[in-house]
Amino acid sequence: MSSILIKDLVKRHGAQVTVDHVSLEIGQGEFIAFLGPSGCGKTTTLRMIAGLTEASAGSIHFDGRDVTRLPPYLRNVGLVFQGYALFPHISVAENVAFGLQMRNVGREEARRRVDEALSLVKLAHLAGRLPKELSGGQQQRVALARAIVYKPEVLLLDEPLSALDAKLRTEVRSELRRLQSALGLTTIFVTHDQDEALSVADRIVVMSAGRVEQVGTPREIYQRPATRFVAEFIGLTNLFPGGLDGHGRFRCEDGECFAVTTTDAPSNASVLAIRPEQVRLVRGVPAPDGESAVEATVEDVVYRGALTEFVVRTASGVKLAAHLQNADFGRDELRPGDRVVASWPADASMLF
Amino acid sequence: MSALAITGEGSLTGGRPAPGGTDRRRRSSTAGWLLFPSLTLVLAGLILPLALMARTSVAHFDAASPDLVGFTLENYARFFGEPFYLTILARTLLVALSCTAICLVLGVPAAFVISRVESRTLKTALILATIIPLLMGNAVRAAGWMVLLADKGLINSALLSAGLITEPVRILYTGSAVVIGLIAVLLPFMIISLQSVFEGIGDAYEEAAQTMGAPPWTAFFRVTLPLAMPGIFSGCLLCFVLAMNAYATPVLIGGPSFQMMAPKVFEQAIKVYNWPFAATIALVLMAVTLALSVASSLALQKRYGAL
Repeated sequence: MSSILIKDLVKRHGAQVTVDHVSLEIGQGEFIAFLGPSGCGKTTTLRMIAGLTEASAGSIHFDGRDVTRLPPYLRNVGLVFQGYALFPHISVAENVAFGLQMRNVGREEARRRVDEALSLVKLAHLAGRLPKELSGGQQQRVALARAIVYKPEVLLLDEPLSALDAKLRTEVRSELRRLQSALGLTTIFVTHDQDEALSVADRIVVMSAGRVEQVGTPREIYQRPATRFVAEFIGLTNLFPGGLDGHGRFRCEDGECFAVTTTDAPSNASVLAIRPEQVRLVRGVPAPDGESAVEATVEDVVYRGALTEFVVRTASGVKLAAHLQNADFGRDELRPGDRVVASWPADASMLF
Repeated sequence: MSALAITGEGSLTGGRPAPGGTDRRRRSSTAGWLLFPSLTLVLAGLILPLALMARTSVAHFDAASPDLVGFTLENYARFFGEPFYLTILARTLLVALSCTAICLVLGVPAAFVISRVESRTLKTALILATIIPLLMGNAVRAAGWMVLLADKGLINSALLSAGLITEPVRILYTGSAVVIGLIAVLLPFMIISLQSVFEGIGDAYEEAAQTMGAPPWTAFFRVTLPLAMPGIFSGCLLCFVLAMNAYATPVLIGGPSFQMMAPKVFEQAIKVYNWPFAATIALVLMAVTLALSVASSLALQKRYGAL
């Protein structure tokens, strides 16, 4: 269990740069998610931390110890592969014992620790089976037991849940979180699924095209995205191209004008973003002070139980998504064609 | 929305099995008929001659008449009774086993390296280089070896002119020459079959082993090699069978002083006209090869499961 320091990490494949000067500090016992679309360099970064891919430049330190040039077998990391890579020719127990054998742990001690690791993932009763005799979820837990049994300094998870079905994924996800905090393992979790990252990680590293876009807690990433990419990639976002007019207002390209809070906005902002759940739809009542508001017509209504998803179109033809909680069952129903005022708090709008 | 999509798909696949089932049944009955021509061919081209050969091997040899007469085990008695022939069998076995062993030792690293080369072009080039020896005929290749290995051949003249030896070393017409010649033919088979096996296993297991603390060599011997065992066995079997039955190479490179089974069959049938004894030698060769193959595959099956 160590802290990790990554400094200006670069990976080049010929002329192509897949990881571009990634720097990152990860605290001891922290649960970090690398989040990004496929090809953003998150798996390559993980492989460089594991030592499976050689870094073209930059450095990686575990607890102050430079491991950049160390081969994987000298790094003491635990890695759960996307396809698990369980050894098919040996039993579950032997799979888990492998890392201990490589560390010359005595037979008795090894057996005890294999039992312990398998009980931790609730698979002690399947120790004698071959991996192929297990279900996908069970294989996933064997892979996890195999990676943590020798107490690695860092636990690396490469899309570990992608091969599981949706229900199992949620289950394994919380199991993973529970184990991680119980063992205090410094963990890096690579995923392209924002739900997974948001629900499981202490901090999220959003990556795009080999670069780190933003590092922050799930709340920061969602509520205060640092870049337009992050705002668009995490959650749904309404985007309005345009510019600030210098009087605390944002003028959209199509002529609409919204009041915004400009304290920490860049003066050359070209896009205004607003989350659909911030948007309120009211019939015929002018918006209260301090709100941005625009008149619109309801175009589409999708009832989702807990919330209703609306698409409205403003007078100038811009589409706007609004998600309304259905907490108030008595509220009168909006239908396509209804005239409404769409409004949101001025400080809820994000400028990039 | 996603729930809708799933039911839609489910009903689609749900509707399929019935027609699919009848389809498959119809196809399998057609398949039976499709087997007929090849079955006939196998029957006429393999089983019948084999039966005829078995019959010939128990016939009495009469130099004056080519007819098959009598039922006797005298040919088998002669083969197993004369040390001369038993020595030939032992020699053939020794050559085949050493060729297989050497091909294995040389083939595994080569095949592994080829399977892990990342560049497609380089991989294709290496595979082509591997099979080039197979592109020329057996006799041509053997002639090449003769030029190289003869008493006045390239190797000896080079050694002589370098002053390393004072008189030519006997290489041609020895067991080593035959083994060398056979390996040149058999190694490509070994490498090609192993290369595809290693390729199929992929490097994920090795990477997993390495992250768990196994140096590359350990990862290879503990994980990749056991997984490749069935493929390694088929490669060895291929080499062994081909070496047991080799003809051109032993004849040309082994010469009259280094006799093996297949050339002996030819000699008895074509030169001596003793067809019954030729058939006996051929059947003994076949039986020994088959017995060893089956025995080793059974032993391996016990160790590594179904092959």
